[in-house]
Amino acid sequence: MQEFTNDPIDIEALPNYEQAQLKTLHPKYWNVVMIHIGIFLFLLAAGIAALVVFNSEAKQHIILFSALYIVLAVLLIALNRADISRRGFAVRDKDIIYRNGVIALTTTIVPFSRIQHIALHEGLFARMFGLAALNIFTAGGSSGSLHIPGIEIGEARRIKEMLMKQITKTEE
Amino acid sequence: MTMDHDFSKPQKQSASGIIIMFANTLQKVIRAAALPVLFIFIKSGGQHTWAMVSGSIALILILAVFAYIRYVKFTFFLDEDKQEFIINKGVFSRTTLTIQLNKIQQVNINQSLLQQMIGVYSLDIDTAGSDKKEASIKAVDHTTATLLRQKLLSRDTSTTESGQLAASEAESVMPPFLKLSNFTLLKVGITSNYGASIALLTGFIFGLFELIKDYNSAFEIEENQLSQAFNRGFSVFSLCFLLIAALVLILGTNIIRTFIKYFDFKIIKQKRALAVSSGLFTKHNTLLKPDKVQLSAYSQNYFQKKLGMLNIKVKQASYSSADEEDEKKSAVEIPGCDETERDEILKMIFDHIPAKGKPLLPNYRFLFLRIMLCIILPLLAVFLLGSFFLTVIKPHFVLAVPYVFIVVTLLYFEYKHHRLYTNDNFVIKRSGIWDIEHEIIEPHKIQAITAKQYFWHKKADVGHLTIHTAAGVIHFKYGNYTHIKNLVNYWIYKVESSKKDWM
Repeated sequence: MQEFTNDPIDIEALPNYEQAQLKTLHPKYWNVVMIHIGIFLFLLAAGIAALVVFNSEAKQHIILFSALYIVLAVLLIALNRADISRRGFAVRDKDIIYRNGVIALTTTIVPFSRIQHIALHEGLFARMFGLAALNIFTAGGSSGSLHIPGIEIGEARRIKEMLMKQITKTEE
Repeated sequence: MTMDHDFSKPQKQSASGIIIMFANTLQKVIRAAALPVLFIFIKSGGQHTWAMVSGSIALILILAVFAYIRYVKFTFFLDEDKQEFIINKGVFSRTTLTIQLNKIQQVNINQSLLQQMIGVYSLDIDTAGSDKKEASIKAVDHTTATLLRQKLLSRDTSTTESGQLAASEAESVMPPFLKLSNFTLLKVGITSNYGASIALLTGFIFGLFELIKDYNSAFEIEENQLSQAFNRGFSVFSLCFLLIAALVLILGTNIIRTFIKYFDFKIIKQKRALAVSSGLFTKHNTLLKPDKVQLSAYSQNYFQKKLGMLNIKVKQASYSSADEEDEKKSAVEIPGCDETERDEILKMIFDHIPAKGKPLLPNYRFLFLRIMLCIILPLLAVFLLGSFFLTVIKPHFVLAVPYVFIVVTLLYFEYKHHRLYTNDNFVIKRSGIWDIEHEIIEPHKIQAITAKQYFWHKKADVGHLTIHTAAGVIHFKYGNYTHIKNLVNYWIYKVESSKKDWM
């Protein structure tokens, strides 16, 4: 308790997380998401086609099926588009901020000193576009950890290196 | 003292550990082989009884030898230079378990019924972190157990000092700081665990409905006046009987459970730690280190308030508990203490009694979604179903009135109790409907913070807050978002500027 000081803190003067410049995900990440959606829609279309061909009763509702299919496809693409455009992250001096969410905008802040370990994940399609995902784990379990996809691989590596340095620094 | 207390050399367990090892293996073998053996026995029509008996004896002998080898091969030692605790074990394949001392969260000393008879203790080491390992030593004597625990947990103090300290602790019997009498346990058993009780009661209420239905049909048939009157009398009688039986059953199980878990509950104050011990059949002994505590909570319901008692729960870091809602494993529960004792315990943990800061109130929108989910949607479903498909339930639509009344009352209480108190040193969240719980954390124990806002709440400036700790999360919903954002900035500043570590 020797160095104890108790100066009043001006809350307004504290660094505001909302003012941090968020970096959006790499534009190529949209391609990865589109591939995922495409695969899903293709499988769904194949399923519907099989149903229509082999089931005479389903044949009568072919227009309804296709209408529903188109609505679903449009909705999926629009929601994912909105989702990706809203995502963003920022690395500050002492923490990392991640924002995401379509109907609810969620911002999570993880201080460097609380990071347990970091993982760099390169998915199959992401790698084709030179992208990677950063997984940042804290002792707060999966809810208190970050998963940031769609970062250019070189940058992801740089961030990881930097965070690793920060972790060892705080541990000393 | 039969054992050498120099932990730097590989040590064996107590010799009586062979019995524990043998019992463990025997239990496993019986569990695995009992059914097939029984099957063979029945199939053979009891012809080969002698062969079976001699086979069993041979098996037991083999197991005894096996237990002895396991005992010989099981060694543990403390590497003071590397700050590691190492366990070597295994008969056919050797396993080396290395535990870094700074990863150890908790060391518990437990004693099962068999261990009590032999007079040995088991030492369970709980580690946190993603590399999940569990280590336990099954049979050591009391002095070894306490000494080893002290050494495993004292990574920052100089080893010689703590060694002497532990020795003195092991020898001298200090007066307990808190001791629960059987009467207190009875009170705890009667007043807590209503969640399980209510679940049981609903089962009984369904049973009652069945009875009422029978009664109604009996009334409509109008067979014999006499038998009808008899029927009615009988069902009223059995109704009351059932109700009383249900209550007795629930309270009985509650009391028995409380006694098994908390019998002879004691807290002994030690230097920078609390030793908590309890248990009727299995004795649990946990050492609570204040700086390892992540989240503390105390709860009280209406009856407990009248009796002047509350339950305390202290949670330490655990990787599994941070994800799951039930944090039973890493939580130390202290039931039935009064307010002065609570303050004393909180003072031990936090250095001073946490004061409730400025309260943050939830917006009235807090009720909207809940009313929608708990009242409007289910009632709508029931009305639609009753009007078009299941017309049988139509006459019971009136029941919606008491339902709405009860649920609204409960929701109102939930809303009323939902508060977040914050000051410079503490975050206290109050919540609950019947059991009102206060969860307390210190800002430097925060792992991450999430602020969340639905787009339709933007105009009303309402949002949600989630504080992630190593022992679970704290949610505060429908608060003033500007205020929440300020708090987030403040806590992040606190975490990043403070030199205090979270563990």
